[in-house]
Amino acid sequence: MSLRNRELVFLVPALVLTTLGFALVYTQKASVLTWTSLTYGALFIVLFLIAHTGVRVLASRADPYLLPVTALLSTLGLVLLYRLDEDLALKQAMWLVVGLVAFLLVLAVVRDLKWLAKYRYFIGGAGLLLLLFTAVFGREINGARLWVDLGPINLQPAEYGKVLLIVFFAAYLVDMREVLTVSTRRVLGIPLPPFRYLAPLLTIWALSMALMIFMKDLGTGLLFFGALLALLYAATGRFFYVFIGLTLFLVGAVGLYFLFPHVQVRVDIWLNPWADPTNKGYQIVQSLFALAEGGLFGRGLGQGYLVLPSGKTIIPYLETDFIFSAIGEELGLVGAVGIILLYMIFFYRSFRVAVRSRDDFSRLLAVGLTSIFALQAFLIMGGVIKLIPLTGITLPFVSYGGNSIVANFMLLALLLRASDKAA
Amino acid sequence: MDRPLRRLFLFFALLFVALILQLTYVQVWAAPDLKTNPANTRAVAEQMKLERGVIVSADGVELAVNRQEGEFFLREYPQGDLVSPWLGYNHQRYGRAGVERVYNEELSGQSGLLGITGYWNELLGKTRRGADLKLSINMGMQRVAVEALGQRKGAVVALDPRTGAVLAMTTYPRYDPNRLAELWSDINSNDDKPLLNRAIQGLYPPGSVFKTVVAAAGLETQAVVPETTFVDTGSVAAGGFVVNNYGGNVYGEHDFTRAFASSINTTFAKLGVSLGADTLATYASEFGFGKDLPWPLGGSKSSFPDAGDLDKAHVAQVAYGQGEVLATPLQMALVASAVANGGNIMRPYLVAQVLTYHGQVLDETEPSVWLRPISAETADTLRSLMVKVVESGTGTQAALSGVKVAGKTGTAEVAQGEPHAWFTAFAPADDPRVVVAVLVENAGTGGSVAAPIARKVIAAGLGL
Repeated sequence: MSLRNRELVFLVPALVLTTLGFALVYTQKASVLTWTSLTYGALFIVLFLIAHTGVRVLASRADPYLLPVTALLSTLGLVLLYRLDEDLALKQAMWLVVGLVAFLLVLAVVRDLKWLAKYRYFIGGAGLLLLLFTAVFGREINGARLWVDLGPINLQPAEYGKVLLIVFFAAYLVDMREVLTVSTRRVLGIPLPPFRYLAPLLTIWALSMALMIFMKDLGTGLLFFGALLALLYAATGRFFYVFIGLTLFLVGAVGLYFLFPHVQVRVDIWLNPWADPTNKGYQIVQSLFALAEGGLFGRGLGQGYLVLPSGKTIIPYLETDFIFSAIGEELGLVGAVGIILLYMIFFYRSFRVAVRSRDDFSRLLAVGLTSIFALQAFLIMGGVIKLIPLTGITLPFVSYGGNSIVANFMLLALLLRASDKAA
Repeated sequence: MDRPLRRLFLFFALLFVALILQLTYVQVWAAPDLKTNPANTRAVAEQMKLERGVIVSADGVELAVNRQEGEFFLREYPQGDLVSPWLGYNHQRYGRAGVERVYNEELSGQSGLLGITGYWNELLGKTRRGADLKLSINMGMQRVAVEALGQRKGAVVALDPRTGAVLAMTTYPRYDPNRLAELWSDINSNDDKPLLNRAIQGLYPPGSVFKTVVAAAGLETQAVVPETTFVDTGSVAAGGFVVNNYGGNVYGEHDFTRAFASSINTTFAKLGVSLGADTLATYASEFGFGKDLPWPLGGSKSSFPDAGDLDKAHVAQVAYGQGEVLATPLQMALVASAVANGGNIMRPYLVAQVLTYHGQVLDETEPSVWLRPISAETADTLRSLMVKVVESGTGTQAALSGVKVAGKTGTAEVAQGEPHAWFTAFAPADDPRVVVAVLVENAGTGGSVAAPIARKVIAAGLGL
């Protein structure tokens, strides 16, 4: 079977499954099945079939599994949002359309990754500018400065900035990998490459980290840091860099812990949410209660106790940061592990792109994008199940959030482009 | 795959495995503990999706109803604080109390027959609805009792002595169950303890109302008859302790009827000493002291000291209700109900019927005898003594025109402040339908403070 036919074969059941989900939630809400619920599903079948056709034309040899997994994740997110709040679902649906348009645009514009590598400094500069722009003009919501108001649209430039910066670093490291692996001198017995080669890398890294810390967007900062470390290791093969990176991370983490009260609170809550379960620890404690309630098989879509009589969700930010808790309660361990497996499949397929790519740039780009995607999924899922301290980021493709959806679709387009070259 | 990529792949795969392990731990291993964690109010909230049964008074006033909001039913209490001391609350955050707690299974449709029909209705797609409760409370009397007590710390309880049905019960201070969220921290820290139902949870020295028990013991053991004469000199010494009359009164020569009507401490101290600690303890126990209240709504256990711990001085004191005797207002109402009901104390009850929402009776409280402390003859004799209290003794302020009222005052001395005012009564004396016990903390004499309250409640109970 051709790659694209394989994609189609996997896409259709994914979308039928989602339609079923819509129907299920709808019957829960209105106790009758109407065409509205089914048209919702049908709409997204058409939408993803258009995307699929686009891939057929624009990247016919791209990986066939990434798009179906994305379709399943994003429409499942939509079903959950529809179950929580119909207005939110409608907004998310519109963002999904924007995301798919962005996806096709990126595929159409970036016909060859070399083009991206060529404009690497421009792209890196643009990424930094986006961060700077947020830092200057951003509006602070919930303690983090992430949002820039552009008329009716709230933009989160950091979401796009991090993708651009990954592109830059991948291109930059292709240039520098030879230099970075050849060390000319030793400092305290440690081999170091010439400083002038390291300087741009360290500057942009430090600058972007500083901006993210300034914006108190620690989630994105952590993601970016981790992805860069993975990139550096993949490029040089030197564990030494990872070691330095982790040391820097530890120093930075301890520094942040003592410098910023909200970091301290986050960590303290993670260590013992039960010290203050009705106030500071409320969110994570309620998340654990929701997961416990879900048990092995879950309570069923639409059957969980997610919304208070007042109409607010029982867990604050359920629709964004804590959507995974809702999955755990309504679909149970089985469903939640299913979601984790979907991310693992995505990760596996996109990592495979890196492994099989023929040129260095697409290899490093795929590693960078894969790392940022996998880390994001891990950080937020790990956060809401109390494996690690909570950082407020979205669950890729599932959480409510237009910028996150669009940025992730652009990331997906770049991965498909890289895989098209790889095959 | 080269080595760095292989290692990176492994690293990320491990992260995902860690996620799955932790998730399994939370959702399966730790789940039972998380579900029963005290901070977890999901179970209560879950039950809010069920339509809880309605609670009505005997005269058909709605006490607890539901307001539907989305998929939830929110509990509302139209009578507010008027009935909160025993009705309690059902709250998603603060849990349950009172009738709402004790009859939760019935109200939420989990028990017995209704449970099965409830599940059947659910299968048929009908909303599950809990059972309704019809209480024994007479809201007319309840309102009068609340008004009569006013804003004085204390309690009023009224029973039907023939059945044990609680007709009215109130306490002050109270709280409005509709405003729990805003009141919660205050009512939990307030020194006046608004969450305490003084009628069944408050323990007070009963003072002279306890003379009813002592008189019953004396009459039943034939140690004394109404005509037995005593001489009062204003004080009597017992084991080194000097008993005085309230207010320093001196009564001279008098019979036992007068001793009871005027509540002469010296005479009861003498009677108590002659009966002895064992007899007193036996009769206190026969009347229910030292026993749990025989109903599911709980309350405090009234207490009488162990006979072995009582020396002569203490026997003299407990004989007029001081010393270590402690009683709840409901307990004192039950003592009076024994006199009113031919010597039998009926089991008190608050819930008369459990009904399906189309009015089919699922369960009905059958009146039954709890204790038989005294014979019918002794009860008759005591009744005439109690009539004299209201006719010409300390309880004249409880008298009603056209109805013979029987009663007993109590003025219990306390370590600090004014004495607690007590009054227990029943009427009509010849065919009692209402028993009332009144307690007002630190308020003065029973005859002047508590008796008027009892009169109003009795009048309401008899439809006067």
